Parts: sequence; structure tokens; C-alpha cells
Amino acid sequence: MNKRGTVAAASALALLLSGCGGGGPQGSSDSKLSGDRIVLGVLNDQSGVYLALSGTNSVKAVEMAIADFKAKHGNDAITQDITVETADHQNKPDVANTKAAEMYDRMGVDAILDVPTSSAALKVADVAKEKKKLYFNISGATTDLTGKACNRYTFHYAYDTYMLANGTGRTVTEQGAKNWYIVYPNYAFGQDMEKSFSAAVTGAGGTIVGRDATPFPNDNFSTFLLKAPTLNPKPDVLGTMQAGGDLVNLVKQYNEFKLREKGVGLSVGLMFLTDIHSLTPAALAGTTYTDAWYWNFDAENRTFADRFLKETGSRPTFAHAANYSAALQYLEAVQAAGTDDADAVVKQLEGKSIDDVFLRHGKIRAEDHRVIHDAYLAQVKTPAEVTEDWDYVKILKTIPAAEAFRSPSAECKL
Amino acid sequence: MTVTAPARSVVRAATGAPRWVRWTLLAAGLAVALWLPNGLYAAVAVDILCWALFAVAVDLLLGFTGLLSFGHAAFWGTSAYASGLIAIHAGVPFPVAVLAGALVAAALAVPIGYLAVRRTGIYFAMVTLAFAQLIYYVANNRRGLTGGENGLQSVPRELFGLDLTDAYYFYYAALPIVLLGLWAAWRIVNSPFGRVLVGIRDNPARARALGYPVHRYKLLAFVLSAFLAGLGGGLFAMAHRFVTLDTLHWTTSGKAVVMVVLGGIGTLWGGVVGAGLLVRLEDWLSFAGFESVGLVTGGLFVVVVLVFRRGLWGTAADLLRRRFRR
Amino acid sequence: MSAFLQHTFDGLVSGAFLALLALGLSVIFGMLRVVNFAHGAFYMLGAVGAYLLLTEFGVPFWWALLIVPVALGVLGMGVERALVHPLARLDPLYNFLLTFGLTLVLQDLVKMRYGTQSSPYGTPDLLVGTVDFGLFDFPAYRVFVLAFAVVACVAVWWLLGHTRIGMVVRAATERPELTRALGIDVGRWVTPVFGFGIALAGLAGVLAAPMRAVNPLMGADLVIVVFAVVVIGGLGSIFGSVAAGFGIGLVQAWGESYLDQWPIVAQTSVFVIMAIVLLWRPAGLFGREEAPA
Repeated sequence: MNKRGTVAAASALALLLSGCGGGGPQGSSDSKLSGDRIVLGVLNDQSGVYLALSGTNSVKAVEMAIADFKAKHGNDAITQDITVETADHQNKPDVANTKAAEMYDRMGVDAILDVPTSSAALKVADVAKEKKKLYFNISGATTDLTGKACNRYTFHYAYDTYMLANGTGRTVTEQGAKNWYIVYPNYAFGQDMEKSFSAAVTGAGGTIVGRDATPFPNDNFSTFLLKAPTLNPKPDVLGTMQAGGDLVNLVKQYNEFKLREKGVGLSVGLMFLTDIHSLTPAALAGTTYTDAWYWNFDAENRTFADRFLKETGSRPTFAHAANYSAALQYLEAVQAAGTDDADAVVKQLEGKSIDDVFLRHGKIRAEDHRVIHDAYLAQVKTPAEVTEDWDYVKILKTIPAAEAFRSPSAECKL
Repeated sequence: MTVTAPARSVVRAATGAPRWVRWTLLAAGLAVALWLPNGLYAAVAVDILCWALFAVAVDLLLGFTGLLSFGHAAFWGTSAYASGLIAIHAGVPFPVAVLAGALVAAALAVPIGYLAVRRTGIYFAMVTLAFAQLIYYVANNRRGLTGGENGLQSVPRELFGLDLTDAYYFYYAALPIVLLGLWAAWRIVNSPFGRVLVGIRDNPARARALGYPVHRYKLLAFVLSAFLAGLGGGLFAMAHRFVTLDTLHWTTSGKAVVMVVLGGIGTLWGGVVGAGLLVRLEDWLSFAGFESVGLVTGGLFVVVVLVFRRGLWGTAADLLRRRFRR
Repeated sequence: MSAFLQHTFDGLVSGAFLALLALGLSVIFGMLRVVNFAHGAFYMLGAVGAYLLLTEFGVPFWWALLIVPVALGVLGMGVERALVHPLARLDPLYNFLLTFGLTLVLQDLVKMRYGTQSSPYGTPDLLVGTVDFGLFDFPAYRVFVLAFAVVACVAVWWLLGHTRIGMVVRAATERPELTRALGIDVGRWVTPVFGFGIALAGLAGVLAAPMRAVNPLMGADLVIVVFAVVVIGGLGSIFGSVAAGFGIGLVQAWGESYLDQWPIVAQTSVFVIMAIVLLWRPAGLFGREEAPA
């Protein structure tokens, strides 16, 4: 039976050698566009926890961007043949890896958009670097994408852990809540958030009177909620870095233990419009958090949101708007460069200042490919204030683009 | 007990077929293995290789020792992390890293197996599941080592300076390791040791009466199975060039069990077929715009357990046997 | 002192969920030798069921507490007849596998209808607020959950000890061969008992809805903890399951409050305890070693 292994090894080797000539980048044709067309790929969670946040409606948002691009440029558009490919990564990084490679290699995708879950986003960034194709991260939150894992072909749109923690921690402290009790889930995201958040609070003159790591996932937070009002000095705010189902658990129990009545407010590190919808505004009334974009912020957003509602039947989250913006700005860059060659497009994008429905005072930083823009400190309305479906928050403060994001990290070498 | 009753006849059937049939099947199998990345997207083909090894490892335990491990992700994932860390820090050729990872998985299997083989049947499944969950939580917490939920990124894939970036070439580099692993599983099943395992499975009391140290045999089978699962997990880490917590989650264990049952419990090669089918199916579903992967695989699985317990390979082997009995 | 009492109370509340789930699992196992992997999924259906009744039909919590367990019990009986029963004469592993597949299906069905986002479900009006125990105060709803769970466990205990069906179940659980040898027709009780076990899981789900996130995956990880709990208590031992459920709840709460610098301890303690129990008493704390099959 040993023969079998030998034969296999020999044939594998033979194939390996015979194939060595191939590989590498494809020889470019005369056309300025690979395959004479532009293909955008939306790779995200279409079946799991991020479905509502981004999911299939992000594909719709990208289609809207394509339509707007074509309408704007008409016959001058670099091509009329612009399509969207999409795949569900089921929140599994290994699936994301295979799908991303398949999109670039087989489906002729020029740029991948979205990709929630940090581990998946980091992996897709890696694939983009290897294949020398573009990737616009929207829903991955890790700052590693513009830190030690940054690369020439990856851009980080929308939010990140620093923006969320810094925005909420600093702004709320500045507005008078000095003493904080912080609970965070004991895994990478939570630990990152806690660090940024604590730094922001102390930087703004606040004090951390207690901080606790909680098991993850966890359906019982009573230990920490019992502890909160007994701390000395009593915290003004409970800062929670929990997300998703854990956040829902924590907020339900926060209300059960009547902490708001006991004078301990609630501030959330990461929250989406869809979370407020799940928990109901009643459960969250008064809670503050940082948002990357809000649909009912001004008339321009509102117009976009109305259009989106007509297309999809729901209001856009910031991720939907960011997908729209990323797709649009990519197409504009291709138009300006006159080619979809990734390096030429990167040159177009780097350092560019942009204003669109999503990006306010936007700028694509050349140093680390962080796309900076205004962020917003939001507060959940009381049930009485909610007069329209999905209009759950009011914007307390606009955090200027320059302050909203961290300065380029020394770890990042493009 | 009866879990393997249909399987037993299947084993006999496969070994009972004429010699030329077996050689033809083997040649056909090898031909498919060599052709695979030309017919499928190469990265998907590599996934099939890794999962095939995992499924065969689970079947070695379930089909031939009568122990259903619902926690084999512990070994698949541990080896993936170990291989990845070794490849990153030692910079060794990838087969060395994979082998080392599999050895770490086997070492982990010793204490877990020692405790788990004290129980049989359904208890064994529950206990292995619980231990795997323990490993999962620990890995999630040991962020410095595992990267936590961000995963262990940028695992190098190195083999004497050859460029294996393209999944197509990596497939052929990984294939010999997988074939060796499958061959090892086949050798184990057909060795005197394997026959004692089957004896223990069918009648533990008798095996004990005959003087076999039943616990020790089961433990050895458990460790060997963990080693093979580890080989698959290590390759999986190399294939994707990163490792994440998913590799340790109980759904990963469940997926391997589903593959074994689809292919046929106690058929060994059924696991390979099941792996090919399931990986392909999931790949297709994620592009087909049908979101409920669990509904399809779960539903398929229920149907197989209810009315098609021999599995694909088992049924095929049975048909073959009937064909050649005359 | 008051902090300790609070944490203890809190541990008992989370233990109550584990106990109810472990109890159902044990009753089913005792009668059918089947470990129901889908137990967590039925717990989830209990919570989703309460949500569905509220939003679709405006049925309040109190009625859900009655309707959902009964409905799930009937559903459970259907599952037993259609799926579990045909495999009854095969190795129990097949039913374990079957219920695993069923778990995937149930989770995805709920996901298709309600998505993975958690569904809102509030505390019943009557139980909003806290109860003052002198030394400490505690959310009224939690006090209710604990009291209700204890009553439910005692009721099951009484049912098993003082009714004819209880006797049969207990006999079949603890001495299966002997019971059959005595000519007692165990078979006719199998379906109702399976339904009853599912109803207990559904009950736990309804109780969880006001205080935990209601989503398709809420029972997925929990069922593994419950498995560890019944291994510790001794699978098939009614008392063992309940005792281990409350015990693990306490250990987790104390671990969280007093070893709070190591959150991993509270999370993994149940599995470590399981390992120790396996070393020391492989059949579980209150289990009886079965003759090797």
C-alpha cells in the first residue's frame, strides 16, 4: 500500500512543477477594464446576527450607488456594464476566505465591500493584498485593519472600536458624567473597547470607579448589576461594551434591577439601530452611544432613507449608507483613473476629500487608508418622543471628523 | 449495541468484493483526488481534503469503536492553532507544522480521553461535547496566544521556498499528507488492534473477559482519532492561512458527525464522500442566495438518520456486494 | 453579608433554569434512553412562542405561561411519534443524532421568520419593580422565577412519587429491565413523558423571555451546559438533575462575584466540576452505575 502514497506524491510533484509557469497576475488585455466590465462584490452575513445590520439590504444599497453613478455620468461613464456579485459568509471567517478568493479569481470582482466580523474582515484584507484587488471594509470593527494588518488595497470605512469608545467615553464625560463603571465581555473586541473607552474617559477628566470583565457569551449579568450601585463613589454611568445578544441581556437586566432609578445611567459602546428596535426604545430611553451615521439627521440623509425605504421596506443603518458611499466613491475613482487597475484606483482614492450622503467632511487618509468623517453622539428617545417608526434617537453632538478617529498608527506600513 | 449493525455488514461487504473491483475503486478514487481542483474551485477542493480527514477520524471512533465523539473540534481546532503558531514562530515547512499540531492534539486527547472513556454511549458524546466547549472558552480567553475572536492571522505556508499561495498548488502539496492519513486510518481498522476495537464495540463484556484492557484500547483509539483530526485541522489552518475560534466550536464537531452519517457510519471512506458532498453543498448554498444552510443540512441529516442509515457509501457498498454475490 | 445573600439568590435564579431544563432532559432520558439534543431548541421555542403570542395575538405573559408549555408538549408528542419512535429500537445514539439535526432545523425555521436579531419582550406589569428582603432587595420578576421553578420541581417530584404514572416513570427510569420484566407496559407512557419533558423546556423558555435575549440561538450553548449538569447530577436521576442545576447556578454566581478578576472561572467551572465528578463518581453524584450494556 505504500506505493499509493508514493504514486500520489510523485504525481503531485509532477503537477506542481508543470504548473509553475502559470499563476501570477493575469496578462492584461488592451481594455482599460478587466473583463471589459466592473464587478462589485458584497460579502457579508446574510443569515446570522448581522443580517439586519447589513446583509442583503447592503446589496440593494450598492445597486443604488451603481444606478446613481450611471445617471450622473450617462454616456460618459467608463462602462455601462457594472454588476454586483454577492455571497453569504455565514459569519465564518474560513467561508469568508474562500468566498473572497473565489470572487476575485473566478467572478472577476474588482472590489469587495462590507464583511462584518473582525476575524473575517482581517482575513479578507489579507486576500485583497495577495490578489492585489480592492477591499472596502464597512462592518468590521477592529482597528487592526488600519494598524498592524493594514495594506495598500484595503480601506476602512464607517466605524471602528476606537471611534465608538472614544466618541461615547469622551463626549459623555465632558457632558458631566464623571464616574464610570465599565463592564466588558472578555474577548478581543471587548478588551479593545474597554482600553479605548477607559482612556477616553480618563482623558476627558473622568474616573473609572470599577471595571469588570464578564464571561462571553453570557445570559446573566446580575452579579455586575448588583455591584454597580454599591461602588464607592457611586458611578454616574454604567458603560457596557457588550454587543448583540449579550447587550440585549444586559439591558433587560439593567432595567430589571432598576439602575436608572438608582441614578446609574447607561452608555453603550457598540449599538446599532437594529438593536434599539429589538430592545424597544422604552428599555433604552436615555442611553447614549456613538453612531457613524443616522438616517434622520438632516434632509439629505432623509431623502436617501426614503429612497432606501422604497427599495427595501426598511430604514437604512449606517452600514447600508456606508456600503452605498463606498461603492459610489470606488466607481468615481475608476472613472477618474480611466481604468480599474487596482494600483491606479488606490492612487485616485488616497488623500481624497469627499462629501456625500454618508461621508461628511470625509477624507481618505493616505497614511493608513482610514476613511475619516463626522461621527455622532446619539441618545435614545423616550417612547413619548418617538413619533415615527425607526426614528429612535436624537443626535446630541456631532463629533468632527478630525477628532472622531485615532491618528494614524505607527504600526501601519502600507 | 445496534448502532453499527448495518455498518458491520457493510465492512464485510467492502472487504468481500473481488480483488479487481477493489483495485478499480481505488484507482478511480485516486483519479478523482488528482482531478478534483480542476473541476472545482481549488480552495473548495482543499477544504474537502481537510474535512475528509476529519470525518474519517470521527468514523474511526464512531464506526469502529462505537464511541460518538461530539467534541472532536477540540482536536481539529487545537491542532489548527498549534500548527499555525508553530508555522508563525518557527518558520518550518508546512507539513512539519501540521504534524507537530496533530501531535499536540493527540497529547490533549490523552487527559480528555482518559476521562471520557470512563463512560460509553450517549454519555461519551455529552462528555466530549462538554470538554470541547471548555477548550473553546479557554481559547477565547487566551487572547495573547490565539488572537481571541480576531483569530490567528497571517499563518505562513512554506515548503522549501515553493510558492504555494495559489490554492491549486497547495492542493497537490496537501494531497500526499491527506492520503497518508487516510491510509493510516485504513491500516488501523484492518490491523489486529482494529479488530479488537470492533470486538470491544460489539461486546465489551466479552472483550474484557478475554483479558483485553478495554479502557486502554478505547483511549488509544481516541488518541489516534484525535491525531488524524489534528492532521486535518492543521492542514485547514494552512489552507486558510489563519485560525479562528470557529474551529473549536461545537458546530464544527457536529459538521464532522453529519459528514460521517451522510457517508455511512463504519464505512471509513463514507466520511470522504460525506465531506465532499457537504462542503460542496454549503459552498453552493452561500452563492445561491438561500440563507438557511442549517435548514438544508439539518433536514437532510434527519432524513438520512431516519430512512437512509447506511449512508451513501454504505448503500453503494451494499449494492456492490449484492451484485457480486451471484 | 447582604451582598453574599444577593449573589446566592441570584445563583439560585440562574440555577432554576438549569434545573428545569435538566429535569426535562432527565425525565425523557429515563423513559426513552434518549438524550434530547434539541432540548435547548425547545427552550428557545418556548421564549419565541411567548413573543409570538404577545405580538400576533396580544396574549399576555400569564397566559403564555400556560399555553406555550402545553402547545410545545403536544408538539413534542408529535415529534416523538413521527421521528423519535421509529428509531427507538436502535442504539440511542441515532436519536441523539436525529435531535441534533432537528436542532439545526428548528433554529433556522425561527431565523427565517424572525431573523437573528433579538425580539423584544418586557417584564409582566405585575412583576415590575423590586422586592425588599430587609437585608437586600431583588427584582420581583426574579423572585417569581425562583419561586415558580421550585414549585414546578416539587410538583414534578410529587407527581413522580404519588401517582401511578409517576411510579411507572420512576421504575422505568431507575430499573428499566426489572420494570419490563414485571410486565408493566412502559410503552404507552413513552409519548406523554417525552411531551412532558419538552413542556418543561418550553416552560423554562417562557420564564426566560422577560429577562433574557429572545433569539434563535439562545438555547444553543445553554444545552451543552445542561448536558454537563446532568452528567454531574447523574443522568436519569431526577433529584440529581435538580440538585446539580441549582448547585451549578450557585457556583457560577459565586465564581463571578468573588473571582471576578478571572471571568473564565465562572464560565468553565461547570466543565471542570464535571471532570472531577467523572474521576470520582463516573455515574454522577446521584446516579446509579448501570450494568455494561
